Amino acid sequence: MSTLDDLVTEFARLPGVGRKTAQRLAHHLVQQPGERLARLAQALVQVAERVRPCTVCGNLAEADRCPICLDPRRDAGLVCVVEEPAAVASLERAGEFRGTYHVLGGRLDPLSGVGPEALRLEQLVARVRAGGVREVILATNPSMEGEVTATYVQQLLAGQDIRVSRLARGLPMGGDLEYVDGVTLAHALSARQELR
Amino acid sequence: MPLISTQAIILSTLRYGETSKIVRLATREHGVQSAIAKGASRPRSRFGAALQALSGGQAHLLLSERRDLHTLTGFDITTLPVRLASEVSRYATATALAELMLRVAPPDPHPEAFDTFEAALALLEEAPPPALPALTLRCVWALVGALGFAPVLEVCARDGRPIDAAGTLPFSTAEGGALCRLCAQTHEVTDLPAESYQALAALLDATAALPALDARHASAHRRLLSRYIRHHLAEGATLTALEFWQQPAWSVG
Ligand SMILES: [Zn+2]
Ligand SMILES: [Zn+2]
Repeated sequence: MSTLDDLVTEFARLPGVGRKTAQRLAHHLVQQPGERLARLAQALVQVAERVRPCTVCGNLAEADRCPICLDPRRDAGLVCVVEEPAAVASLERAGEFRGTYHVLGGRLDPLSGVGPEALRLEQLVARVRAGGVREVILATNPSMEGEVTATYVQQLLAGQDIRVSRLARGLPMGGDLEYVDGVTLAHALSARQELR
Repeated sequence: MPLISTQAIILSTLRYGETSKIVRLATREHGVQSAIAKGASRPRSRFGAALQALSGGQAHLLLSERRDLHTLTGFDITTLPVRLASEVSRYATATALAELMLRVAPPDPHPEAFDTFEAALALLEEAPPPALPALTLRCVWALVGALGFAPVLEVCARDGRPIDAAGTLPFSTAEGGALCRLCAQTHEVTDLPAESYQALAALLDATAALPALDARHASAHRRLLSRYIRHHLAEGATLTALEFWQQPAWSVG
């Protein structure tokens, strides 16, 4: 049945979804009442129509600016640089951060053809040059590509009179040293902090 | 299916399906191979954080006889070159080398290329910053040489006649090296000033002192080397990491 196959193919394109899960989702959906499917379809159409990048930070927004950039209680002098909007959601869930964000839209990955021009780097430099930014916190992912992206941004901002910091690398809370892999442990050791 | 254990360096990883990764590895004994690491994307995978690009270690592979995709059953990491990410030029060079291994090195075993690649990663990690403009070039030329494409500089690359090393040197990318005055009249050449020629000779000789290259000269040498690779090794393929490496942007900071 080609209509169902089309749906399976679309699901299988989603990150972390294999062919099997795609089939399960599709078969689950066709057994649902029509109005539920209509609501789902409507939600997808609205996302496509309304959600777009915030013109300031690149986070997801339904207006020119995202709710975080519009919130006067957020500290615009503090800019946290992340790879994707999903990282903004994670940091917001943590609830600790009262600054603003800058979403790069990816990370440097020369082997896959992702160079600096593919990232929202010029916009970041323009934000810093415009003044008012005191600190840029580099919160790219703790992978080789995330690390080098952080280094690149750091080199890019080297001439600016601001503080540039990097998110600490460390051990997962609630974990057990016995189960932490060697690479993470080695990182945590090299990034250890003195206790005063 | 035979199980093998080999020294390996991870060239790239790609998420596959819901929990797995496809890893491309340069192995010392078995050439460049692709393998599936089942469950590697799970939070508590036995691979942990070991499957990072440019990590070195002992790879345990279950070889498939019928398919090109083998199974990675384990990876005992011995080197995680985190310092490569501490400066863009170190990382750009390392990925340009990984790209040559991935797209240009022959699929059959090539221990010399593997050893050159591995040694280059170690050098790139340890080198003091002032050495980087020349060292990054030497590392790439070394791998080009290990793959069998070293340029000829001592005699004419076309006919073996002696070359006139005084003054400028006619260098032909297409012919793979320096040309004598006679050949230079009928072939497209780049005239290398004596200083650049000497620097190139020093870059190609691992025992020579590293030449001092300012940003402009380093950039010119990178362009020459990129052109050389595209002509002799790329066979029309786009080498995106090499393009990133060649850009002057990262060197001016
Ligand atoms: Zn915003
Ligand atoms: Zn000749």
